[in-house]
Amino acid sequence: MATYVDFDRVQYMADLGVKAPLCRLHFCRHCMKLRSTDCVSHEIDSHYCPHCFENMSPAEAKLKKNKCASCFECPSCFHTLSTRATGAPNPGDDPSRPAGRKVYYMGCGFCRWTTKVAGIPNQTVGSGAWSEKENTNSERINTLMEYFQQLAAIEKQEKDKKKFIRRKSFIPFSEKFGLSSTRKRASINPGLSSLSLKENPKVMDIEPAEASEQIEELSDEFIKNPLKLNEMTTLKQRLATPHFQPNFFSELYPRHKNLLTQRSLRCKECEHNVIKPEFNPCSIKYRIQLVAIYHVPEIRLFSQPNLEIGKETQVILTLLNPFDYAVTVTVHELKEAVFNAELSLPECDLSLPARDETAEFDDCAANQDFQDDPSVVTFRKSNKLGFFIKVTPKPSAAGAKVVIPFQIRYNYRNMTASSALTDPTAYETVSLQQSVFVDLGDLNSTAA
Amino acid sequence: MELEPIFHKKAEYIETASGNKVSRQSVLCGSQNIVLNGKTIVMSDCVVRGDLANVRIGRHCVIGKNTVVRPPFKKYNKGFAFFPLHIGDYVMIEEDCVINAAQIGSYVHIGKNCVIGRRCVLKDCCAIADNTILPPETVVPPFTLFSGSPGVFTDELPECTQDLMIDVTRSFYSNFKPLSS
Repeated sequence: MATYVDFDRVQYMADLGVKAPLCRLHFCRHCMKLRSTDCVSHEIDSHYCPHCFENMSPAEAKLKKNKCASCFECPSCFHTLSTRATGAPNPGDDPSRPAGRKVYYMGCGFCRWTTKVAGIPNQTVGSGAWSEKENTNSERINTLMEYFQQLAAIEKQEKDKKKFIRRKSFIPFSEKFGLSSTRKRASINPGLSSLSLKENPKVMDIEPAEASEQIEELSDEFIKNPLKLNEMTTLKQRLATPHFQPNFFSELYPRHKNLLTQRSLRCKECEHNVIKPEFNPCSIKYRIQLVAIYHVPEIRLFSQPNLEIGKETQVILTLLNPFDYAVTVTVHELKEAVFNAELSLPECDLSLPARDETAEFDDCAANQDFQDDPSVVTFRKSNKLGFFIKVTPKPSAAGAKVVIPFQIRYNYRNMTASSALTDPTAYETVSLQQSVFVDLGDLNSTAA
Repeated sequence: MELEPIFHKKAEYIETASGNKVSRQSVLCGSQNIVLNGKTIVMSDCVVRGDLANVRIGRHCVIGKNTVVRPPFKKYNKGFAFFPLHIGDYVMIEEDCVINAAQIGSYVHIGKNCVIGRRCVLKDCCAIADNTILPPETVVPPFTLFSGSPGVFTDELPECTQDLMIDVTRSFYSNFKPLSS
C-alpha cells in the first residue's frame, strides 16, 4: 500500500541530527522540538501477555522472568500452543469401553507439534499444572547471582560512603551555627548507619569454575550413523532456549510466552511526557499523545517525478495542515545541507485553512478565497494543497537517489498549561522551523 | 507518496446509498447476512460467505481483489458451528487474502497474499505484513506488526497508526473513481 510503503520518502530532522518519517517522531510541546524515538527516555508502565492480555507490573514481570505464566509457545514454530482435551483410556480394562475422564495436552495449530512428542504426560486439569523442565545449572546460577548481588551491594555502599564523607566536612560549619542536633539526628538515619566503617562487609565464598582436563571422546555414533536432519533442531529453535539448547527435535519443550511492554516516553531535556498509554493493553487511546503529525505541517511527495541529470523538472509536493486554525507556511533553502540537485523553491507564502473534520461530508467545495499563484499552487482540497518545486539533478546524482532538503517555517499556537487554566482560548504564537528531506527516488533509467 | 487514482468502469461496480462500492464480479453468498456500514469497497473476484454466518464490515473498509472472507467454524463433539465475523472501521485488506478471523478490529492493515486462520482475533491498530500466514486462534495485540509463516510479532507500529489508517482508507475511497466515459 502506497502510504505504508513510502513513509520513508519524506523525513524530518529531529534532535541530534536523526532523520525519521513524521509518523515516527514526537513533538515536545514544552521544548517545541521534534523528538525521535532514540532521544526520549522509555519507561515501562506495564508488561502484558500478547496472547491472554494479562497485565502485570514490572516488578511482577521480573519475578516471572518476563514470561506469561499461563500461555505457552510452540518450541518448533513459535506459534502459541492451544490446550486440547482427549479421553483417557481406562487402565487395564477392556479397551472397547468408552474412555473415562478427560485429560489435556497442548498442541500447535500450525506445525502439529504436541506435548506428547516431548514425552510430557497428559494433565488432568486444563491449565496451570504443566511441569517445568529442571535446569541442571540453576543451582550454580543462583549461587553466582547471589555472589554478584553481594558484590554490587558492597560497591553501592562504598559509593554512598564517599558521599557521606564529603558531607561530613560540613558538620563543623553546622555546629558553628547551632544546627548540630539536627545534623546528628540526620546522621543516625538507619540507611546510613549500615555504612559505619567498623562493619566489615563479608562476601560469601564461591567455588571458581574449573575447566575439566578430560574431554569426552567423540562417540562412534556420530561417524557410523547417518545424520537425520529431520530429527535435528534448527539454530533458531536451539537458541530460543539458551539454557537447554536441545540438539534433537524430541528434546524440545514448550516455552512460556514472552511478554510485551507498554511504554510511556519522556522528553530527555524537559522530562515532560510525550507519550503515556492507558493502562489497558487492548486500548488504543493515550492519556498523553504528542505525536508529530498533529503538531507539524506534513509534506508528502505527490507522485514519482521523472528526473534527468541537468534537466529542470517540476515536482509536486503536498502540504497538509494538521491544526484547527489557518496556517501560513514558507519554504526556505537549507543552507548547510549537501545535496545532489539544484532547487528552485516557491517564494510566496502557502496559506492553508484549518483542518475540518466535516469537510468529508461537505458536498459543495468550500469557498476558499485564496489568491494562489497558479505557477506555484497546483490544487487545493480542504486543508491540503499541492505546490511545485523545480528540481535539476546535478551530475553527482548519477547512481544515487535524489534527495532534496529544505526548511519549512510556520507559526505554531502553543497552549500552555498556565494560560489554559485562566482562559481556554489563550495561547502564545511561536514561529517554528523544521528541516525536511524528500527522497525523489532514482533518476530516470531510460534517459541516463 | 500520495495514492494515485484507481479507475474502474462505472458499470462494473454497484454503489449503494450509503456509499458502498461492490464489484459485480464479486460473489456475495447469503447477502441478507452481510452488512457493509458504508463507504466500503469490495473489489472484483472477492468472495464473502454470508451464507455460513453473519458478516459485518464497518465503514471505510477496502477488500482487495481475489480475497475470500469466510466466517470461522469450530468443531464440537457432535458436528460444528460457524461464528459471525466482525470487521471494524477503516480496515484495509489487500489482494489475494483468505480471512477466517473471528474478529478484526478497527484501523487494521492486512497485506497482500495473507491467510488469517480460523478464529484469529486481530485487535485495533495492528498490521499483518504481505505473505503472512496466521495459524488458527492467533491473537494480534494493538500496535504490532506480525509477519512470516507462522505469523509472529516482528515490529511495533507508531502511536499514530489510527490516523494513518484513516488517511489511507479515506484517500483510497476518494481516489477510487469511475471512468468518466
